[in-house]
Amino acid sequence: MLEIDVASLKMKSPLVLASGVLGSFSPSLSRVAEHAGAVVTKSVGLQPREGYRTPVIINTPHGLINAVGLSSPGCEEFSKELSKFRGDAKLIVSLFASEPDDFVKLSSYFDMADAFELNLSCPHVSDAGLTVGSDPELVKEIVEKMKSRSSKPVFPKLSAATDYIEVAKAAEEGGADGIVAINTLRGMAIDIGTRKPILSNISGGVSGEGIKPIAMKVVWDLYEELEIPVIASGGATTWRDVIEFILAGARAVQIGSAFFYSYRVFYSIKESLIAYLRKEKISLNELVGMAHKTV
Amino acid sequence: MSSSEWLIKQYEGDYMFSMRIDKIIRHSDDVSTLFFSSRLRSYPGQFIMLNLPRYEEIPLSLSSPNSVTVRAVGETTYALIRLSAGEIVGIRGPFGKPFTPTDGKALLVAGGIGAAPLYYLHDYLKRRGAEVKVLFGARKAEELVWKDRFSVLMVATDDGSEGLRGTVIDLLKEEELQQYDRIYVCGPEEMLRKAFTHLKEKEVLGKAEFSLERYMKCGIGVCGTCILEDGSRVCAEGPVFSGKDLEGVEF
Repeated sequence: MLEIDVASLKMKSPLVLASGVLGSFSPSLSRVAEHAGAVVTKSVGLQPREGYRTPVIINTPHGLINAVGLSSPGCEEFSKELSKFRGDAKLIVSLFASEPDDFVKLSSYFDMADAFELNLSCPHVSDAGLTVGSDPELVKEIVEKMKSRSSKPVFPKLSAATDYIEVAKAAEEGGADGIVAINTLRGMAIDIGTRKPILSNISGGVSGEGIKPIAMKVVWDLYEELEIPVIASGGATTWRDVIEFILAGARAVQIGSAFFYSYRVFYSIKESLIAYLRKEKISLNELVGMAHKTV
Repeated sequence: MSSSEWLIKQYEGDYMFSMRIDKIIRHSDDVSTLFFSSRLRSYPGQFIMLNLPRYEEIPLSLSSPNSVTVRAVGETTYALIRLSAGEIVGIRGPFGKPFTPTDGKALLVAGGIGAAPLYYLHDYLKRRGAEVKVLFGARKAEELVWKDRFSVLMVATDDGSEGLRGTVIDLLKEEELQQYDRIYVCGPEEMLRKAFTHLKEKEVLGKAEFSLERYMKCGIGVCGTCILEDGSRVCAEGPVFSGKDLEGVEF
């Protein structure tokens, strides 16, 4: 009932695990995959990378702030880990790099991937992520190179803190199969007792409920501007949030920070979506972007 | 009194908060207990993420509602055990699944610094009227930290400097396990595995609980650093797992 196609990916549900959450090891990816349409891994780079010192994640009443620092075992180790993935969902490998050729080289390590997400939006690492993803020409070149070497779908993940329409259009011209929006937004927290910033990196990326309205607007805009599908990411916590993103134009919705509340969040949202579609006697495909038709 | 004193307070929901260290007990060269300025609403077996400014944030089991008992193993823990009273630390939590209590007969099996959450559990169970016996093992007598916290106790040391010469597993093998309503185990991995094997052989896994330790970054179930083979998160589904949950899981 929840089956949906995102580009050439035939997914059993629109629910997708967002990158950076429970995505470092196959056992958790496989477990989340049980009730997901796809799972996105933690971003991987060519070389192993330590990441920042703890504290790297803090929970606030409206979501999380993290500055993990793209910690990664490197592509060789990570491809060994992902070869153990046994999940019943599409496996999307998230890549980070600075140069177009490095993205292509990275992708060659992951035969088991059904698609690639390009991390062009991590806000707290100086030589990757958003630094790359703010440059439309560079984004277009990365996507073109990726598409010329592989037939697998490529989904650039963009930030709201850039001219996202321009960047998304460049990615679309480059041949992107869809756009993931949005990544975390820069933010920070200071402990008033110790009078010091909490994260070791001082600032980080804000995710969770607090950024949902911002993500909603980006999804809305991209749906208006693009032909390719939009995958929403940013604060979806309940089934209502998922429906809201779909109405704004998302064909799939990523969920990450909500795992703070429950490991069973995908199961619970999945069941609620089925109930909603039955009650409303409507299909998922009809709902995609429906809010645009009423304005 | 610093002007920010009034801000250093109790549990504030799900944000990091600060607490003052009121008192420190130096048990040995490398183990201390740090007492906080107020009690945390918590249960035995739960842990906190403790952030020592200028060092790292690390997971630590509560050894009472207002303390952690720490062994120096790295830079942060080394600094922690030498802290002075009055210093301020950041705290998130308590997090994680606690031990399942009993008011019947309980056996606590502690290896080394694995005793930390069991101090808390011991007091908690006694208050509930449980009959509690503790088996405590360490390499040598000095490492049987704070053992007078336990009222009914049998000890073992590798070098025989106190109690039985041998391990806590040797003590466990002497026990008539059927008589206990619950068995709680915490210690180093090798000891946990040996205890698990023995309890499985004796067919008492169903009433056994194990507290596991893993490197953690977030403590709240999102980062995916502390994943077990079956996908469980040590910080959220654990750190306390029932023996049955761990069957077939490499830990």
